[in-house]
Amino acid sequence: MLSVLAFLLVLFAFICMLFFTPVEQTMGLVQKVFYFHMSAAWVGMLAFLVAAVFGLLYLSRRDMKWDTLTAASVEVGLLFTVICILSGMIWARPIWNTWWTWDPRLTTVTIMAFTYIAFILLRRGVDNPTRRARFSAVYALIGFISVPLTFFSARLLRTIHPVVFGGGEADMNLNPQMLATLFISLVAFTVLYAVLLLQRARLMAQQDKLNQQVAVTDDSYDWGE
Amino acid sequence: MTLQARQISKAYGAQRVLDKLSLSVDAGELVCLLGANGAGKTTLIRTLSGLQKPDSGEVLWGSKSEGIGALKLRRSIGLILHQPFLYEHLTGFENLRFYSRLYETGLGDADLRKMLGRVGLGSARPISVRGYSRGMKQRLTIARALLCDPHILLFDEPYTGLDQQGCGMLNQLVLEESARNKLVLLTTHELSYIRQVATRFDVLHRGKIAASIPNAGISLDALQEQYSAVVSAGKTTRKEQA
Amino acid sequence: MKAWLHSVRVLIWKDLVQEWRSRDILTSMLAFAVLSLFIFNYALELSPINRADIAPGIVWVVMVFAGTLGLNRSFTAEQDQGCFEGLIMAVPDLSAIYFAKLLTNLLMMVFLAVLVIPIYSVLYNQSLFNWAFFGVLALGSWGYSAAGTLIASMTVQTRMRDLLLPVLLFPLLLPVNMAVVKSCGVLLGSVAGQDINGWLNLLLVYDVIVTMLSIMVFEYVIQE
Repeated sequence: MLSVLAFLLVLFAFICMLFFTPVEQTMGLVQKVFYFHMSAAWVGMLAFLVAAVFGLLYLSRRDMKWDTLTAASVEVGLLFTVICILSGMIWARPIWNTWWTWDPRLTTVTIMAFTYIAFILLRRGVDNPTRRARFSAVYALIGFISVPLTFFSARLLRTIHPVVFGGGEADMNLNPQMLATLFISLVAFTVLYAVLLLQRARLMAQQDKLNQQVAVTDDSYDWGE
Repeated sequence: MTLQARQISKAYGAQRVLDKLSLSVDAGELVCLLGANGAGKTTLIRTLSGLQKPDSGEVLWGSKSEGIGALKLRRSIGLILHQPFLYEHLTGFENLRFYSRLYETGLGDADLRKMLGRVGLGSARPISVRGYSRGMKQRLTIARALLCDPHILLFDEPYTGLDQQGCGMLNQLVLEESARNKLVLLTTHELSYIRQVATRFDVLHRGKIAASIPNAGISLDALQEQYSAVVSAGKTTRKEQA
Repeated sequence: MKAWLHSVRVLIWKDLVQEWRSRDILTSMLAFAVLSLFIFNYALELSPINRADIAPGIVWVVMVFAGTLGLNRSFTAEQDQGCFEGLIMAVPDLSAIYFAKLLTNLLMMVFLAVLVIPIYSVLYNQSLFNWAFFGVLALGSWGYSAAGTLIASMTVQTRMRDLLLPVLLFPLLLPVNMAVVKSCGVLLGSVAGQDINGWLNLLLVYDVIVTMLSIMVFEYVIQE
């Protein structure tokens, strides 16, 4: 049900983006990447926050479902973060004639992506499920805390070293149509995130069940002598 | 003080290890926990020490159940596990002094040397633990476990690596502690040694204490027999069912 | 509180004696750092003017990489000899273990700086003697050690151990790296006098937040 909603919303946002919004004066058609680029960034950050919250919930409740949700949120968040970075690069190239700028937001988002990847590697390196869950929760927390700190340091860098060429803040005046489309995109992507999160979590939970069955608790347990 | 486990269960994934196990040890008792390899003896010791929480059920130390949250309680448990808890680059004496200071025992150097003597390391050369044999490390770890004069002694396979003299030394030690109204629970396969000192033998089988054999001068053969009977009881039943 | 401080002191002393006896970490960190300085010289081929600009960057990068050697080893004794559990049964609070390791790792970084800076000065013919510079390095080292100790306590319990530490740690260190290098650039006079208060504040905030968070979550890392 939710998946259908997500599909429809994203489709709607896409249509709005193509037809409803005007073409931006200075940047041209490529500017339209902005709506999905910004929405992907938003979801990337949201996913990280959600992962940190689920991590906290695991540490206090010790229910494995929170751990599954943490891991799923990070994976989905990584996906959206990569989309954000790639779409940003696609946008930057024709506008500023460069693939990369040391713009604070881009730097922060990329570091966030690296933290996500590190999280996934950490999970791979721990076999014991409860230990993996504890470590994931801890790393999700500390990773999340470092994001605003990274952002502020990157921003501080910019105020001191204004970029010489290209990479200036895309100063766009968003007219009402653009704002509306942006809002629709944000909502669409958020719903899409929720759908992907639940699907991924469900898949992970089933994989876990397959890999290590939970002990039978009644007297039918086979002590296997 | 009584150490009590009430209906504790523990499973590692699909593998059930402890299954609604209940156990009680009083001060002055010297209980030997018997069981096959992989039966869950180590898990039980770790749970009783508070390092590990059971999936369900509770452990009571005296009347308290908050486990190792309470510092005083933690420091009143003398624990020996498979790994010796020793720092390789410190000498035996320095290891003891480190733990002694950490435990805030207030023991002086002379007392520590006496402890070393008690476990048979009194005349050991002052080399770092890296150069110790397995048996020497085991003696040292026994000394470490007794540093804070604990009320509760939980020893997992303490005879490992000890020579005959060492086993005798350990026997004497646990007997002395037991006589001082301490509570001793240890696991071992060395039935011949433990038979001399234990007040009772609990058999861990299929996640429960399947039998509790009091030591009223029981012979080694009788003990072996009873142990085998308990362990194979379940097997026979299954064979009959099949 | 007194008991906590006492246990921290006892733990630090034990770590220092262990390290002094084996000298594993200190010697390898030093060798790594000096060799890195050599490599930088050939890799960067700098004129004296350019060298002055990037001196703080080189020094800090060398410290960060060499520091991982120390971090990787900081918990191996506890992990391999099972000492974690011995300590858990003895200390007033698990945060004492974290704090003691943090200070030990910080001392390693200080030791590294004390050796790397004069060697750099000699090799590159540039004096780096500046108390403010040392102060900022100390602040940066604190942040590095705070995050590094927490991460190391996790990675030592994983399969991949040493391999995983830089991957997990470096993304978290960006604020520290930036703050140290940029403010030291100003302090050493290579960049025209700018206000470094922003960087120092950031560094302080980072140190405090990461240390406090680590103290709170450490028990979940070393205990079931």
